[in-house]
Amino acid sequence: MNNKQLSALLAIPALMMAFAVQAHSEKEHMEKAENPDCATMNAMDHSKMDMSDPVVMAMMQQCMNTMQQGTAEVENTPHGHGEHMTGAGKASDHMQQAPSQ
Amino acid sequence: MSISSNGACFKRLLVMSGAAIGTVAIGGVAFLYSGLYSMGADDPHYDVTTWALETLRENSIARASQSIEVPSDLNSAERLLKGGADYNDMCAGCHLKPGKSENDFTLGLYPAPPNLATIHRTGEDEESEDQRNFWIIKHGIKASGMPAWAPGHDDTRIWSMVAFLKRLPDLTPTQYQILTARGKNDAAHH
Repeated sequence: MNNKQLSALLAIPALMMAFAVQAHSEKEHMEKAENPDCATMNAMDHSKMDMSDPVVMAMMQQCMNTMQQGTAEVENTPHGHGEHMTGAGKASDHMQQAPSQ
Repeated sequence: MSISSNGACFKRLLVMSGAAIGTVAIGGVAFLYSGLYSMGADDPHYDVTTWALETLRENSIARASQSIEVPSDLNSAERLLKGGADYNDMCAGCHLKPGKSENDFTLGLYPAPPNLATIHRTGEDEESEDQRNFWIIKHGIKASGMPAWAPGHDDTRIWSMVAFLKRLPDLTPTQYQILTARGKNDAAHH
């Protein structure tokens, strides 16, 4: 067996071992990552939360995007200020009341 | 009693001790080769074996971990998020999570992996507990099913898992899900 063949035989297992070590990178876990269930976070009573608790801070950080979008939605509603137009009934009720004001 | 009879007595004692040690050693080796000891994970050790192994394990870990320096920022949100995601991917399969009390691994492994979601800290020596957890995650434990995570995981990542372990028993299933999810909940893209 010449030197070239010997180095190829050594290099292949070495490369395979190197790839096996890289297999535990965080990126690999991302492929099957699930999203945080931020809907439950929004439903919680925020006034009872200790905002200095690292667990609460971490949850806020995780759900920041969802919470920001929720705030933006409220601000973008035609009548704003926390009024949630969740049902068609509510909207039509509001429009019916408008002329009498 | 004369000096010569004292010497003979000592010689006899020496011979008897040597014979006893030899018998035990030969008996031990014969036992190893006999195949009589059950190695099945479903057949627990004798109490004395369990005591000996646990004593060996705890003292070894305490000695090896005593000089490890604990970072001062273990109680941070960033550590919880990093460590939580890794715990969920690497540890929860054996050490469980809030709302789960058993699975095939906890039922079948011997020794059974501790349920880390229910073990509350004693508060007696927080530093030693952090050092111990770091050492175990990094180096693993022989013949227990606990792997060494050092190959492929740096110290920073392991410390984040230690940080997460400190808060794990206090978490509800909802909090656990939010803290450990790796995905970005970018609602704007849905």
